[in-house]
Amino acid sequence: MSNAATAASQPGHRAKPRPRRRELREVTLLIAIFAVVLGVGVLRPSFMSFSNIEFMILSSVVLGLAGISQTFVIITRGIDLSVSAVLGLSAMVFGLLSTTSSMPLWQALPLCLAMGAVLGSFNGFLVAWLKIPPIIATLGTYSLYGGLTFIYSNGLQVDQVSPNFAAFGNGNLIPGLPVPTPVLALAAVAAAAWFVLNHMKFGRNILAIGNNAAAAYNAGISVRRTLLAVYTISGALAAFSGLVFVAYTGSATATTGTGDHVELQSIAIALIGGTAIAGGRGNLAGTVIGSVFLSVVITALVFLQVPAIWYSAGEGLMILAAVTLGARRSSKA
Amino acid sequence: MSRTPGLLAATGIDKRFGANSVLRNVSLSLAPGEVHTLMGENGAGKSTLFRILAGIHQPDAGQINLDGAALDLRNPSAAYGHGIYLVPQEPALLKELSVAENMFLGMLPTRGWFPSRIDWKTIRGQAQDSLSALGLDVDVRDDAKHLSIAQQQLVECAKALLRGCRIILFDEPTSPLTGREVGILFAIMRRLRAQGCTLGFISHRMDEVSEISDRVSVLRDGAVTDEVDRGGFDRARLVRAMVGREVIFDRRRVRREAEGEPVLSVRGLAHAPVFSGVDFDVRPGEILGFSGLIGSGRTEIAEAVCGLREKSAGSVTLAGQDISTSSIGDIIEAGLVYVPEDRARHGVILPMSIRDNATAGQIGRLQGKSGILNRGREIAIATDTMRRYQVRARGIDQPVGQLSGGNQQKVVFGKWMSTNPKVAILDEPTRGVDVGAKDEIYRLIEELSAQGMAIVVISSELEELIVLCDRVIAIYGGKIAAELKGADVTAARVGAAFLGAEAH
Repeated sequence: MSNAATAASQPGHRAKPRPRRRELREVTLLIAIFAVVLGVGVLRPSFMSFSNIEFMILSSVVLGLAGISQTFVIITRGIDLSVSAVLGLSAMVFGLLSTTSSMPLWQALPLCLAMGAVLGSFNGFLVAWLKIPPIIATLGTYSLYGGLTFIYSNGLQVDQVSPNFAAFGNGNLIPGLPVPTPVLALAAVAAAAWFVLNHMKFGRNILAIGNNAAAAYNAGISVRRTLLAVYTISGALAAFSGLVFVAYTGSATATTGTGDHVELQSIAIALIGGTAIAGGRGNLAGTVIGSVFLSVVITALVFLQVPAIWYSAGEGLMILAAVTLGARRSSKA
Repeated sequence: MSRTPGLLAATGIDKRFGANSVLRNVSLSLAPGEVHTLMGENGAGKSTLFRILAGIHQPDAGQINLDGAALDLRNPSAAYGHGIYLVPQEPALLKELSVAENMFLGMLPTRGWFPSRIDWKTIRGQAQDSLSALGLDVDVRDDAKHLSIAQQQLVECAKALLRGCRIILFDEPTSPLTGREVGILFAIMRRLRAQGCTLGFISHRMDEVSEISDRVSVLRDGAVTDEVDRGGFDRARLVRAMVGREVIFDRRRVRREAEGEPVLSVRGLAHAPVFSGVDFDVRPGEILGFSGLIGSGRTEIAEAVCGLREKSAGSVTLAGQDISTSSIGDIIEAGLVYVPEDRARHGVILPMSIRDNATAGQIGRLQGKSGILNRGREIAIATDTMRRYQVRARGIDQPVGQLSGGNQQKVVFGKWMSTNPKVAILDEPTRGVDVGAKDEIYRLIEELSAQGMAIVVISSELEELIVLCDRVIAIYGGKIAAELKGADVTAARVGAAFLGAEAH
């Protein structure tokens, strides 16, 4: 049998020596972020001030949370267009409850996660049981959940939140550590997501399904239950990001989330971060850094006094540039 | 690990897909420790039968027993539980995941209580050990997408053993492999048999079947037509059982010395390091064979000739016209077509109908001045393609993906031949095609050549080259290693040239 062994190890038959090239996406993105910060900082020194940098990081948290939920869904070859609607509904519901019903944060938090999980699991049911393509299912629930926000708010909007909400959105959880609570929350969620994706069966099953759902099923993985869980988590995280948003900004309207196209922004940062739109491969660190990138770009447009009507187009150009560069890199590999 | 599995017996299996009855009252038993081969034309139901045994499909009637006990194989996991594993035709490894993770897919070991972490160390260690035991030298941390198909098949074998499976079914594993890779696979199959495993095998290649099988069952149209033990193997008998009629295999066509001006001339074609110094001519009515191992550069040369691939030097002249730098569209228009090896990837669009595929090569000509396609001509061309090339299908609107491999290939042929080329380069025209359809494809090629078309057949099957070609050029290491014509076109000489043993 040494026969087979030697033949199999001959050159040309063996896979190339393992190209363990580190995923450089994060590094590239960080360089891009520093370049933008320095470039704009030269023109507008206040851009580089501590308070502005803190602001940019803080404002990337909401996007980052939505992006992480989107990353999980995209890894399964799916897409969740309803994240912005869930975000908006959650911001509206809990923003209003914090003042009108004086709901404390410790009650709002689990309720918010539960509400998001229910909304997300409905997506999962449509996708995994009724076999509706994710883009269609979540396009439907995007309108549905967005509509619920209008019905619930009934013309009202949130223009202030209770002090304990505001403290959560802007304060520092750990006294003495100058890191805002939302940033800590994002760090915790990102770390947990990374652990799940890389070191837990559930996470590996998600990747397996994204690579080849039929093969995953044949290997005994419950594809339907895993997909249901992924969309449920996506909903819960989207709702959580809505809670963070309303706590941080103290305001919400019926078009919060959907108006800014957070669903598209979350897809964009996942792709910028190196998650494959065809599924099977995800990069959570890339998503988090991608959210900072987007936040920096949006803020830079403001600082450069670009007319507001140009924001959306400018943001789109930067996203296209980042995704194109990323795509070229990975096709060369 | 060393216990021999019991007798696996399927009895009275019926299976329908929609209106299509695929298996009718089929019985098959795999005796412990034998290599049992299923033969049959494409569409005879071989893969379906294996997939039923592996729990991927469920039979409509009939039962499956292991050692006398009835099995309920409602999904593949249930089949693993009974020690049955199918190595699929297209290995289904997950490309973006590591080899090790692929091997433990669905059974990743964990450690710790909560949260229980995946035990990567154990996974890598066991995966590496089981691959080494099969003589496969790959790094299990590498992504599966970097493995060759042959390596992926061996990984599938290792997966089977890791799951404790002792009945391993191979669904046509050799069709994408080179001769040497087949040798490696067979060595491993023999070793598994020696260790007491029962192996199922599907192949179209007669020499492979007689080399490895202990027993052969022949399926035709969803029913078992013959079952032969080793020793009783007789080529003519097996082919008759498969096709239901006599197929003349050993017909030796007269090798003509084609005369007249070459219609295609290639001079000094080079693209280092893949190929260099390639000169050849093809004359009208001639069938030229291109032999060579996969990786010898034969496909690359053909692609460069047809403008599908870069070349750094050399000229290509088609009917007196220099087409070295022409666009692909102009080359097709000038009368040179390339029919690629991988049908599913480059040859046909599987979900589209026969009509759409058959007319795709000349869609421009079907457009009237208004830019609207002429539906009547479309139908006429597709109907003509079906008739001329004997495509067996429900009608011109059936998606090509539903046809058997042989019939798909006929549609591909029809598509290209309807452009009336002067020269056609056919890359592995009968890969994955069953014996009966192969014979029909050979007839087609001969017919086209009789009408004056020049044809280049690229093949790694000796028999094909010898049955079909007037002249054979052997490619070895990106160069023309030998040219054989007339009486020199024999199995021994072509085989030797193939392996680079024949001097120019």
